[in-house]
Amino acid sequence: MKRIVTSGIVLGRLNFGEADRIITIITPDQGKLRLMAKGVRRQKSKMAGGIELLSINDITFIPGRKDIGTLVSSRLTTHFGDIVKNLDRTTLAYEILKKTNDATEDECESAFYDTAQAALEALNQNVLHRESIECWFLLQLLKLAGHEPNAYTTPSGQKLESGQQFSFDAEAMAFVQSESGTFADQHIKALRLLLNQPLEKLANIQNLDQLCRQLLPLLRNLHAQQT
Amino acid sequence: MAKKTPAKHTILLIEPDKVLAKTYVRALAAASFETLVEPDAQAAILAIDQKKPDVIITELQLAAHNGVEFLHELRSYPEWQDIPVVVLSQVPQAESGMSEQAAQKLGIKVYAYKYQTSLSDLTKIVASIL
Repeated sequence: MKRIVTSGIVLGRLNFGEADRIITIITPDQGKLRLMAKGVRRQKSKMAGGIELLSINDITFIPGRKDIGTLVSSRLTTHFGDIVKNLDRTTLAYEILKKTNDATEDECESAFYDTAQAALEALNQNVLHRESIECWFLLQLLKLAGHEPNAYTTPSGQKLESGQQFSFDAEAMAFVQSESGTFADQHIKALRLLLNQPLEKLANIQNLDQLCRQLLPLLRNLHAQQT
Repeated sequence: MAKKTPAKHTILLIEPDKVLAKTYVRALAAASFETLVEPDAQAAILAIDQKKPDVIITELQLAAHNGVEFLHELRSYPEWQDIPVVVLSQVPQAESGMSEQAAQKLGIKVYAYKYQTSLSDLTKIVASIL
């Protein structure tokens, strides 16, 4: 039987029968998998430690004939253990797992894995504010779904001018110039950076956390609408 | 015909302090609740897997895992979404950093500050959510 070795982040677990568990795991090269971890709920199971949440695990599995494969072995390689030292970060980390699970099909792009991994790693390292990580993560999900907000032009295709105030037109998914708008050009710049830069490059940007705090309601809304 | 006694509700108490745990168990037993005690999050997950409790009472200050992580882990299993949780903590809610919204998301029915919650308060809280 063909065995595949890869690594992955566990997104969800479901108890099955007496001692088994079905895990949902996202991988960089095999998409999202559902795997039966047999006997894993027994106290002496060797696999139990390798299917923990908030961690990256090396796994070996046999693909299933239908959709559920069989987990043969697992080993924890990275545990994002510092996340749980802070309540807000813990909550966001579990939201990242849930949103990644909700946003992905079985044959998903590796970018979903990369996005979840980068966000969990940033939460663990604690060099960026929680709000900046959440904004970046939501924007990446919107981008992967093809629903990212247009941070460059108005609905009519004109460049967004600096020194102006803007409001967001949800139907056009773009910003429009408006004197009473709540967004300034610094928000637009922040959005562009969040859309196009990896998380590790955002650590030194001044006021990013403050701008992200103001952008978050909009991005949460866009994400909720999209799902 | 023999009278059938109603099944006792099962409470899972997660409390690292053994002396306090014994006190709570006695009080809950006096109110006819069957109480299982576990000292930490990992043991609690195994216990829930063995027998799904009707209510979970948990401290947030636990060894190894924190209580919030335990609650997220608990709610990550679809079959354990509906178990009501009472937080009985030595950390008051205002200092715990847990907003009402976050508490609601985690299925926390009551957040009780340990030092202001009498034994009779606790049994009343449990009875009120069953």
